[in-house]
Amino acid sequence: MKKDIAKVTFLPEGETIEVEKGVSLLEASTRAGVYVSSICGGDGICGKCRLIVKKGEVKTRPTTLLAREDIKRGYVLACQSEVVGDVEVEVPPESRIEGKILIDMDAQRFRALYAPMKEQVTFRYEPLVQKIYLELPPATLQDNISDHARLYREIRRHKKIENMQTGLKVIRGLPHILREAGWKVTTTLGVRGATTEVIQVEKGNTKDKNFAIAIDVGTSTVVAHLVNLNTSETIDAEATYNSQRVYGEEVTRRIIYAELKGADKLREVIVEDINNLISILVSRNNIRLNDIMGLVCVGNTAMIHFLLGLDPSRIRKEPYIPVCTYPPPIRAAEVGIKINPRGLLYSIPGIASWVGADITAGILATGIYQVEELCILIDIGTNGEIVIGNKEWMVCCSASAGPAFEGSGVKSGMRAGEGAIERLEITEQGKVRYTTIGGGRPRGICGSGLIDIMAQLFKAGFVDRAGRLRAGIDGRVREQDGEFEFLVVPASQTDGDDIVITQPDIENLLRAKAAIFAAVNILIKSLNIEFSDIKRVHIAGGFGNYLSKENAITLGLIPDIDREKIQFVGNTSILGAKMALLSRQAFDTCYKIAKRITYYDLITYPGYMDEFMSAKFLPHTNGNRFPSVTEMKKVEKGV
Amino acid sequence: MQIPDVKQKWPNPINEVTIGATKEEGGTRSHTITVGGANSLPFLYFEGELPHPPVIALEVWDVAPKDWPEELAKYFSDVWDDAGKWAKKCVDEFGADLVCLRLQGCDPDGENKGSDEAAAAVKKVLESVSAPLIIFGCGSDEKDNEVFPACSQAAAGERCLLGSITEDNYKTLVALCKADRHKLIAESPVDINIAKQVNILATDIGLAPEDIVIYPTTGALGYGIEYVYSIMERGRIAGLSGDKMWAMPILGDIGKEVWKVKEAKALQKEVPEWGDHTQRGPLWEAITATVYLQAGSDILIMRHPKAVAETKKYIESLTG
Repeated sequence: MKKDIAKVTFLPEGETIEVEKGVSLLEASTRAGVYVSSICGGDGICGKCRLIVKKGEVKTRPTTLLAREDIKRGYVLACQSEVVGDVEVEVPPESRIEGKILIDMDAQRFRALYAPMKEQVTFRYEPLVQKIYLELPPATLQDNISDHARLYREIRRHKKIENMQTGLKVIRGLPHILREAGWKVTTTLGVRGATTEVIQVEKGNTKDKNFAIAIDVGTSTVVAHLVNLNTSETIDAEATYNSQRVYGEEVTRRIIYAELKGADKLREVIVEDINNLISILVSRNNIRLNDIMGLVCVGNTAMIHFLLGLDPSRIRKEPYIPVCTYPPPIRAAEVGIKINPRGLLYSIPGIASWVGADITAGILATGIYQVEELCILIDIGTNGEIVIGNKEWMVCCSASAGPAFEGSGVKSGMRAGEGAIERLEITEQGKVRYTTIGGGRPRGICGSGLIDIMAQLFKAGFVDRAGRLRAGIDGRVREQDGEFEFLVVPASQTDGDDIVITQPDIENLLRAKAAIFAAVNILIKSLNIEFSDIKRVHIAGGFGNYLSKENAITLGLIPDIDREKIQFVGNTSILGAKMALLSRQAFDTCYKIAKRITYYDLITYPGYMDEFMSAKFLPHTNGNRFPSVTEMKKVEKGV
Repeated sequence: MQIPDVKQKWPNPINEVTIGATKEEGGTRSHTITVGGANSLPFLYFEGELPHPPVIALEVWDVAPKDWPEELAKYFSDVWDDAGKWAKKCVDEFGADLVCLRLQGCDPDGENKGSDEAAAAVKKVLESVSAPLIIFGCGSDEKDNEVFPACSQAAAGERCLLGSITEDNYKTLVALCKADRHKLIAESPVDINIAKQVNILATDIGLAPEDIVIYPTTGALGYGIEYVYSIMERGRIAGLSGDKMWAMPILGDIGKEVWKVKEAKALQKEVPEWGDHTQRGPLWEAITATVYLQAGSDILIMRHPKAVAETKKYIESLTG
């Protein structure tokens, strides 16, 4: 009936859509094809889908996620507001940011996927850089020590610090700042090994402006998290593909480029990526660059070499010697990173040429190094890394998987950001059901979605066990430029082109999963243990905030073991980096971890190629390695 | 001191595959040939049962070969314009257990014969000899898929061994084998895992494992033979140990490999220090054959009559 229909207009586009009354604004926006940010997908808990009601009215449920001033200005949460009549709403800039990567913390808060580590890992809160507000007693004839000593004396009243150092520049400015500020100043202290540096002295109390950034410098993806050091909160996150990719997808190619043309270009490119990420984060959150006093970076050894401008050439040549795996804190400005000019750049310690700081951070975040039971950490990235161990020993290896699971080298692949298909189901009739990050129209497929697609195509019988698409089913499988592809979402329902998965995509993904599974398998064999000896499996990677264990097993990416033991832990590199940033104790622990790891080189394992080839099959050439998948396929065949 | 018993027992025998069908079985062959069935490594009769000795197929083409050296031509050039006569000579004069008809004339880069001609060649061979038949495609996936339906139909019920399927191309041949009751050669590029994977793919779409013969690719002596040897032997050990996807007879396609290498082909006047090519060529093929027999091959496809005779003698001497 006519009266049950209402018009919703979205500004500034002016997009209008008719919906039934009672429909939420979020739903209306999806139908209208207007992008509105949403992380919880309409559960009313993330507070991201802010809209401003300009004309007309909506029925809203009360929420604590909007400030009173905002409500007065007409702000509502799209998912908590029902259309009751014709209405005009504006989508404010903060709700329309696209390509924003999901914050791990959000995943943690909203989907409770990581809970476990907390119970194991607790570190004393003591950020690597911190601000202290000081009210110094003014200098008198009786109390006539120097300005510098007066500052130290006051700092020591607040904190037990034995060794301190101060740069000449800060000392030079000291007498003026102290007196102009009426002896009320805020000092920033930074940990520099065994000593503590007075990095900066500011007038008045600026204690609440104390931010730092954690950066995961990945081979394919660079992720930056902005952290409020006072509250330990992750305020925002941003990610970008590593621009060094034009010099080669793989680390080795980039090293070769550096050898031929010099490493400086690669440093400039990565520093520019980082600076861009930082500037997006500060402008989006109204923070001054000057208030960012510290930065912790994590990444594989080659990436850290590039970032610090170290010669990477020996990493790839026998005997594989890196220049430095424990880089000391330096000024970020020295490498060209733009934060406070005196701000410090910390690097998480690495282990060897092919096992980087990302693994140290992963071990820190998962707490493997301090538990009794045997754990495995599988970090699925361009350079996959695997660690097996417990508090007594840890062995790791690396596997060159390629960037497929990061959405690179896959036609419709993308990073885990807004609009990425993150989970998906395919029925035997070829119907596709999917969920996107943010709930909006799909723009591409991220890692978790790719795992789902592969497993579901196999399960539904659209690909054979070698991953070859079978032709002629329901118009979903079609031939394009001589290659088969599976139509996931037609262009009419996306934010652009058809979303497809092509035969070469499938082959890239198969290779990636085979590299990882082969490495896991070899490491387990070499240690003379069985899958069943492992009590906990941590799967890490920048997939977004979801990973289907069942599909990952069906695909043969992870071993077929008790699902209870498996845990998806997200991007542990950045998580570990943030832990180090917030706790000196955690940062120090990184060094202990790095020293304890034994590196196992797969190149020395004669059967690597065999393991790889047998894993390049769905789920595996040896079906008995994946009994539950074999069983499932049998049931479906009616055997 | 008592010498310990080191005899090895294997839990899983290799499948038996029977090629050819007699009148009673719906075909027209005078006899059938069965391979496989072993529960021990080759020729170790003291350890287990090896019910069927290895067999040899001689190669016949549906077109006169242009690149066969004189050493082969002198035996076959009088008959190689007619696949039927060629096959008869192989069986009657040179003692072939089976005939392997290779549809080389269908090669799109060669004479590019069509499916009617290919089927006619199959019929001709079936009519001229009563031995069981292997039919090998020309190696072009597309062309093989085009000509095999007619060939398979022409030999329906004869339980031929058709080849070959690969990881990339298996559906047509599997369907034909199921429809016309043939057996199948599963080819893989010297890779223990891919060999299995092809078998899994074929059995996934309904072929019985008992209908498969594994062809793991072969190389001539001096051309990676030790690599193939180790793959064959490892595969056979895997099969005997319980791996159902390796528990199949193995085929070696030897003649084709041997007769393209210079060590077999080169004439004495070209390389005098290598000696008499009329001895060297057949020896090269015979030695290649014995190596593959030791590795576990059950069927060998060969070319030179003298090499065949030598290899048969060798088999007899070991089977006693």
